[in-house]
Amino acid sequence: MKMPLILLLQLGWRNLWRQRRRNFMLLAAILVAVGGVVLINSLIRGFQYDMMEDAVENLTGHVKVLAPGYRDDPSIVQGFELADGWQPSVPTAELEGWTRRVRVPAVVMSERETRGLNLVGIDPADERDLSFLGTVAMSGERLRDADDSHIVLGRELLTQLDTKVGRRVVVITQGADGLNREAGFRVIGAFDAEGTALEKAFAFTGRTALQRLLDTDAVTEISVRLTDDAHSAEASAELARELPSLQVMDWRQLEPLAAAMFEYSDAAIFVWFLIVMIALAFGLVNTLITAVMERVREFGMLRAIGMRPGQIVLQVLVESTLVMLLGLGGGVVLGMGLVAYFADGIDLSAWAQGVEMAGLRSVLVPRLMAEDVVLVTTLSLVLGLLGSAYPAWRAVSVKPLDALRRGT
Amino acid sequence: MADDVVVVCRQLSRIYDDDGVPVNALDGVDFDVTRGDFVSLAGPSGSGKSTLLNLIGGLDEPTSGNVVVDGTNLADLDQSQRSDLRLNKIGFVFQSYNLIPVLTARENVEFIMQLQGVHAAERHRRAIDMLSSLGIGDLGDRRPGELSGGQQQRVAVARAIVTHPVLLLADEPSANLDSKTTEGLLDLLRTINREHGVTIITATHDPMVMSYARRRVHLKDGRIESDERAGALTV
Ligand SMILES: Nc1ncnc2c1ncn2[C@@H]1O[C@H](COP(=O)(O)OP(=O)(O)OP(=O)(O)O)[C@@H](O)[C@H]1O
Ligand SMILES: [Mg+2]
Repeated sequence: MKMPLILLLQLGWRNLWRQRRRNFMLLAAILVAVGGVVLINSLIRGFQYDMMEDAVENLTGHVKVLAPGYRDDPSIVQGFELADGWQPSVPTAELEGWTRRVRVPAVVMSERETRGLNLVGIDPADERDLSFLGTVAMSGERLRDADDSHIVLGRELLTQLDTKVGRRVVVITQGADGLNREAGFRVIGAFDAEGTALEKAFAFTGRTALQRLLDTDAVTEISVRLTDDAHSAEASAELARELPSLQVMDWRQLEPLAAAMFEYSDAAIFVWFLIVMIALAFGLVNTLITAVMERVREFGMLRAIGMRPGQIVLQVLVESTLVMLLGLGGGVVLGMGLVAYFADGIDLSAWAQGVEMAGLRSVLVPRLMAEDVVLVTTLSLVLGLLGSAYPAWRAVSVKPLDALRRGT
Repeated sequence: MADDVVVVCRQLSRIYDDDGVPVNALDGVDFDVTRGDFVSLAGPSGSGKSTLLNLIGGLDEPTSGNVVVDGTNLADLDQSQRSDLRLNKIGFVFQSYNLIPVLTARENVEFIMQLQGVHAAERHRRAIDMLSSLGIGDLGDRRPGELSGGQQQRVAVARAIVTHPVLLLADEPSANLDSKTTEGLLDLLRTINREHGVTIITATHDPMVMSYARRRVHLKDGRIESDERAGALTV
C-alpha cells in the first residue's frame, strides 16, 4: 500500500508550522549558510577569473605562438616571419582578437638611470581587445599606430629613471644581425597598471618602427585571445597544425603559477562549501533528533493505527526536505541578492598596497556561476537527506508501545 | 466454530526486562474472543492488561506463545504486514494522544482511509457521516487541541471504526473522562458493538466500563483469575 505523497506533504507542511520557532531557526541557519556560500563562492570565482584574465591580458593571450628557441633566448634572432594576410585558423566566433608582436630585451637609459626591460613592438589597434593595454590608465598619449616611433613606459619605471613624459630616453638592443642598435625615443605616455611589476617590465613602441630599428621583417610572437578559455585546447591544436615549425603554448603553460592558483580556487570553493555544509548538517541532525524525540508518542500512535515503519521514515524525510528546500531556495535567492548588491565589486583599496603588491586588482567583482549554485543546492540536499536519515531511523526504532507509554 | 473466534491466544507469555530483573507481565495466558463480543479486561495495575492488548494488536511480540487474529497468526507477519493488519482489521483507542495534532477531526477520521487508498469523495462522505452519527458532526473542522477530552475520544472512536475493523482495542478509553462523558462514550461503544458487530476488547479500571461489557476477564500477576459472562447486566 503506497502512502499518497500529497498526504505526506500535507502532514509535513503542517508539522513545519507546528514547530514554528525551531523550524524558523533551522531555516534561518540554512538561509544564511547557503546565502553566504553562494556569495563567497562567487567572490572566489571573481578572484579566480580576474587572475586568469590578468594572466591572459599580461601580453599572454589564451594561446601564444613562439619560435621554439625563443624561451631560452628571447631575442630577435629567434623571430619568425608570417605570410602576408596570414590569419589564425580559429573559428571567428571563438576569436576575441589576435596580434603579432616583436618583443626583445633592451636597456633604457635616462640622463640619470639605466634599467633593463622588455621592449615590445605592438599594433596599438590590435591590443585594444587583447591585452591590458586596451584598458590601462594612461597619462600622456597612447601610441597612434604600428609605425609610431615614440615610446610608452610604465609609471614606476619613469620614477626609477627619474624622467617624465615628453623627455627622451635612449634604448640599446640587439638587431637581427647580432649587432647592438642604439636609438633615442621620446616618451609620449606612461601607463599605470594594477601592479608595479608590469610597469617595470615593459616598454612599448610601434611594431614596424621597432622592426625598422632591428632591421627585420620578423616578429617574435603571435598572441591569440579567445572568447572563452574553454576553447584554448582546441585553438592550440589548430595553431600547431597550421604552424608546425613553431611552438604553441597556452596561458597555463606560460603562467604556471596563475594556472595553479586557478586550479586551487576550484578546490577552495569545494572545501569551503563542504565545511559550511557539514557544520550545518550537524545542526540539522541535532534539531531533527530533538524534534523526533518530542513526537515519539505521535509516531507510536501512527504505527498503532497502521502506518508502516517505512512510511514514518518517509514522513520525517519529507518534513526535513521541506525545511531544506525552503532554506535552500531562500538561501540561493539571498546569495544572488548579495551578489547583485556587490555587482560593482568590493573595493579592497583600503588594503590596496598589499593587494597591488600581490599583483591583484583592487576591486573584487563577484562572479555567479550556475554550476556552483547547482552544486550547492544538490549537495546540500544530499547531505541534508543523509543527515535526516538517522533521526528518521530513530523515529521508528522506538517500539510503538514504548512510545505510547512515555508520558502516560 | 473457528470462524466465530476472532482472537486466539495460546500459552501467551511476555517477560519484560526491567533493568535486569525479569518481569512476568503475562504468564501463559489462554484467551479466546468470539466475534461480536464486548470484553473488558480488569485487574490491578501491572496485572498485564495493556500487555495483552498490545500483543493482540501486534504492537508487541510475545516471549512465547501465539496470537491469531481473524485467522492470521501474527508470528508469520513482519513489521509492515502487521502495520497493514492493524490498518485494515484493528481499530485502536488509547487513553490519550489518539489524534494527529496537525489534522482536523475530519482529517483524522479520514487518515486511515487515506492510507488505505479510499477515494477522496467517498472518504470525505464517510468521515462526515461517521462524525455526525457520533454526535460530533459540527466539530469536524477543529483540531484536537480545540476539542475536549471526551470529544477527542469520540473522534478517536470514529477513526477506529470508520473502516469497519474486525476488532476494536481500547486501552483505558475513559481514564481521562468524567463519568457523564464516559457514559456517552460507552453508549457509543455498545451501539457500535451491537449494530455494526464490531468485536471490542477494552482494558479498564473503571467499573462503569466493566458494566457495559458482556464478558469480564480479570487478570492478576499476568494470569487470568476469573472470566465471567455478565448476562444479567446486558440485555
Ligand atoms: N516496556 C516495558 N518494559 C518493562 N516493563 C514493562 C513494560 N511494559 C510493561 N511492563 C511491566 O509489565 C507489567 C504489566 O504491565 P501492563 O502495562 O500490562 O499492566 P496494566 O495491567 O496495563 O497496568 P495499568 O492498569 O497500570 O495500565 C507491569 O509490571 C509493568 O511494569
Ligand atoms: Mg495498562
